[in-house]
Amino acid sequence: MSHLTKTIRGVAFAAMTLVASSAFAQQELKIIAPAGPGGGWDSAARSIQQVLTQTGLAKSVQVVNVTGAGGTVGLAQFVNQAKGDPSQLMVNGITMVGAILTNKSPVTLDQVTPIARLTGDPLVIVVPANSPIKSVKELADAVKADPAKVTWAGGSAGGADHILAALFAKAAGSDPSKVNYIAFSGGGEALAAMLGGRVTAGISGYGEFESQIKAGKLRALAISSGKRLANADVPTLKEQGLDVEVVNWRAIVAGPDITAEQKKSLTETVEKVVKSKEWAEILKQRGWEDFYLAGEPFSAFLKEEQVRVGDVLKSVGLVKS
Amino acid sequence: MSLLAKRRADKRALVVGLTLFVFAALVWRDAAAQTLSATYGIGPAAMPYVVAGALAALGLGHIVVAFRDGLPVPEHADGIAIGWIAFGLVALLLCIAFGAGFILATTILFAVTSRAFGRRALLVDATIGFGLGVAIHLLFSKLLTLSLPAGPLEHLF
Amino acid sequence: MDSFVSLGQGFLVALEPSKLLFAAVGVLLGTAVGVLPGIGPALTVALLLPVTFKLDPTGSLIMFAGIYYGGMYGGSTTAILINAPGESASVATAIEGNKMAKAGRGGPALATSAIGSFVAGTIATIGLAFLAPWLVELAVNFGPWDYFALMVLAFVTVSATFGDSPLRGLTSLTIGLMLGLVGIDKLTGQARMAFGVPEFFDGIEVTTLAVGLFAVGEALYVASRFKSNPEEIVPIKGSLWMTREDWRRSWKPWLRGAAFGFPIGALPAGGAEVPTFLSYVTEKKLSKHPEEFGHGAIEGVAGPEAANNASAAGTLVPLLTLGLPTSATAAIMLAGFQQYGLNPGPLLFTENPALVWGLVASLFIANAMLLVLNLPLVGLWVRLLAIPQPWLYAGILVFAAMGTVAAKPSVVEVGMLFVFGFLGLLMRRWDYPVAPMVVGLILGPMAEAQLRRAMQMTLGDPMVFLENPGSATLLSLSAMALLAPFVMKGLSRFRAAED
Repeated sequence: MSHLTKTIRGVAFAAMTLVASSAFAQQELKIIAPAGPGGGWDSAARSIQQVLTQTGLAKSVQVVNVTGAGGTVGLAQFVNQAKGDPSQLMVNGITMVGAILTNKSPVTLDQVTPIARLTGDPLVIVVPANSPIKSVKELADAVKADPAKVTWAGGSAGGADHILAALFAKAAGSDPSKVNYIAFSGGGEALAAMLGGRVTAGISGYGEFESQIKAGKLRALAISSGKRLANADVPTLKEQGLDVEVVNWRAIVAGPDITAEQKKSLTETVEKVVKSKEWAEILKQRGWEDFYLAGEPFSAFLKEEQVRVGDVLKSVGLVKS
Repeated sequence: MSLLAKRRADKRALVVGLTLFVFAALVWRDAAAQTLSATYGIGPAAMPYVVAGALAALGLGHIVVAFRDGLPVPEHADGIAIGWIAFGLVALLLCIAFGAGFILATTILFAVTSRAFGRRALLVDATIGFGLGVAIHLLFSKLLTLSLPAGPLEHLF
Repeated sequence: MDSFVSLGQGFLVALEPSKLLFAAVGVLLGTAVGVLPGIGPALTVALLLPVTFKLDPTGSLIMFAGIYYGGMYGGSTTAILINAPGESASVATAIEGNKMAKAGRGGPALATSAIGSFVAGTIATIGLAFLAPWLVELAVNFGPWDYFALMVLAFVTVSATFGDSPLRGLTSLTIGLMLGLVGIDKLTGQARMAFGVPEFFDGIEVTTLAVGLFAVGEALYVASRFKSNPEEIVPIKGSLWMTREDWRRSWKPWLRGAAFGFPIGALPAGGAEVPTFLSYVTEKKLSKHPEEFGHGAIEGVAGPEAANNASAAGTLVPLLTLGLPTSATAAIMLAGFQQYGLNPGPLLFTENPALVWGLVASLFIANAMLLVLNLPLVGLWVRLLAIPQPWLYAGILVFAAMGTVAAKPSVVEVGMLFVFGFLGLLMRRWDYPVAPMVVGLILGPMAEAQLRRAMQMTLGDPMVFLENPGSATLLSLSAMALLAPFVMKGLSRFRAAED
């Protein structure tokens, strides 16, 4: 008897989810990756595409790459074309927050509808293995003593790496505008500069330096996230007395002026993606850290991050106030 | 000296020289408008100043050449043929700007370029161009999952 | 000795039928996408990544490497046949290659590029197998000052592409440098010469300029004189294959090209373009037929093609030994490694020798497969030139438009193609060389960034260029290359005066 009700309930539930998902399955989604194929945003967009189609959450998903200017070209196009259209999504991240400011973009993230934050990769601060600097404290002291002598290698100017270097200098009691940050195109060149001992310290995503750290060619001083990584024994900056937290997060947003129901249904779809085992599998493969946050808290986070990044870029002089 | 006075200046070399001066001024103005400078080492305006200087020097070189030998004299050009291709390229631009799609754009471009090379069979050429456009579109959208600019024609496939 | 044993075991892995199949699929795909302008190997591997993650890691990495090598082969085909270099590494090939194709020597041009790619690819892969650990030590010690000096050397040698008038050559080069300024400054993140157009923020795409100047400009130029002075394209004149003379003139450039390409490709910021230019210039200097340069000299195809393939193998040195991606394709291959939980780097050779050596062995196989695939295609490709000229040029324009639109589907990009096309027409009519402009666009931003990094690291001390043996040597070589012609002239005048 109870068994029967359970079965009936189960069937009903299955039917409901089927109806719900088939309602979506009718839908064709378009995800804008505001960067070229192969980069972080593109792989995020394609991973979502993969999960959406594998789980039948959407019938067809198209990924469109709109390259240019740290994602602001894609953003401008998205704000324009996705207005009131619940079938379009766009991937973005902390780099876009910075690029909007440095490029003086006329469109901003205030115009899009936030859906959810997906992943957040911690950054790592490393020094060459033969460097005399052994700890965050020694690095902080060196920065405080003479910021010019401490050269940092990292990714593009105004990106997450640069932001971390500036926040580090500030927390160490130095002037962020004096940070000697050398921007390299891509992690590879920065890594070469580290291995060649050309720079004092380097910043990059943990994954990019992982193999060198494990091989003992680079010494990891600290990780920039709030908590330690599960698979690596590297302390956080906070543990070592510097109140700095920067995470290279990626998120997904929808177009301007969509209705509350449309937003709700998109948020639910994304939640299903994030909770699926396929997504968990992708996170593991790509070495991405789950950093899921949706709804109001995410909107608030996005606002805070815009203010924070803006302040940092002003302090290093990349953005004039 | 008398030679300089006698010979008329070569107009084309003058035009190139003046264009180079305009470029130099543009680069110089842009460099001067840079608000950021590097804290250490060389700033972002240094290289533009060097390029602007080089452009100006080359502009001067062209002015001198204009009063001496001039540029080599080009042979006669068929303006109509160039016009046809220019028309095709503008059509391509407009098709992409106004969402008419890549297939229509290639159809026009192929047909008018053939016209520029003296063919008269516009319809045949347009058909070939259309076929080429469809093939390219299918290759990109189906095999490479990349989207070329789409218009009404692309949605049929 | 260990390397030999490991490589032998690698061949055992790579010669498994399933791995051979992966290699074959890879080289086929690579050749196909290499032929399409605008679609490079990086894009292809990126698109295939999600498809392959269920496959066996060794197999799919072998396939990616096949695509990479194949793309390098394929890129030269369009450069030679229709003067549309699909990537910046084929620009130097286009200069002589297309001239040869138009004179009915497309067959030998394609053949020398295929065989040269094979020879250089094989030499470079041997280098990868046996020299990688040492080479990489040298490579990471290459500082920004050394790179800057290398760029200076490349700049100095560019004068070989100037043609008869230094004034017009320098003008072309300087306009290229000006175009190189456009976009976001890498070191400070602010826009230069962008005039508020967001599409300009990432700078001007090298392929857009090259395809505009070379292919579109050429089409316009040929059309402009089609009535009065029709150009004759001979698909095949003389032998379709390389003659004994062609072989004699090709083998040294192949070897020298490999010698330029492999080490520079192994440098983390060396790239594939610099070695192709250096090779072109060297061949021009050393050739017994310097007068043929600019009209289709086979050495000018053999050298750069060998150089660009060798540099592709060179790129794998830092990728495999350090996990350092130094080109777009390498970056995506790194992502490919990571999707299987493999981290290229010092540990990979010890943790996963079967995979690494299997990959290296399969590079040899891929190279051989490419040769077998490409040589018979030569006859077919050359037939393309037999298409009636109206359709040939119409097709070239459609191809050029496709490449541009596929890379960046924006009106601004197509507009640039249009402007560069007309610029190419004007430059041809008024006898300005077009190649230096592309060289300026490629080298200018690289040289500037390295100079500024060097100055930032040393807090503005220019002596660093002379204190470091690497940069000092390269700079004195540049000085010699720059001054030698004058000194020679002076000497001969001096001698003439004595007589």
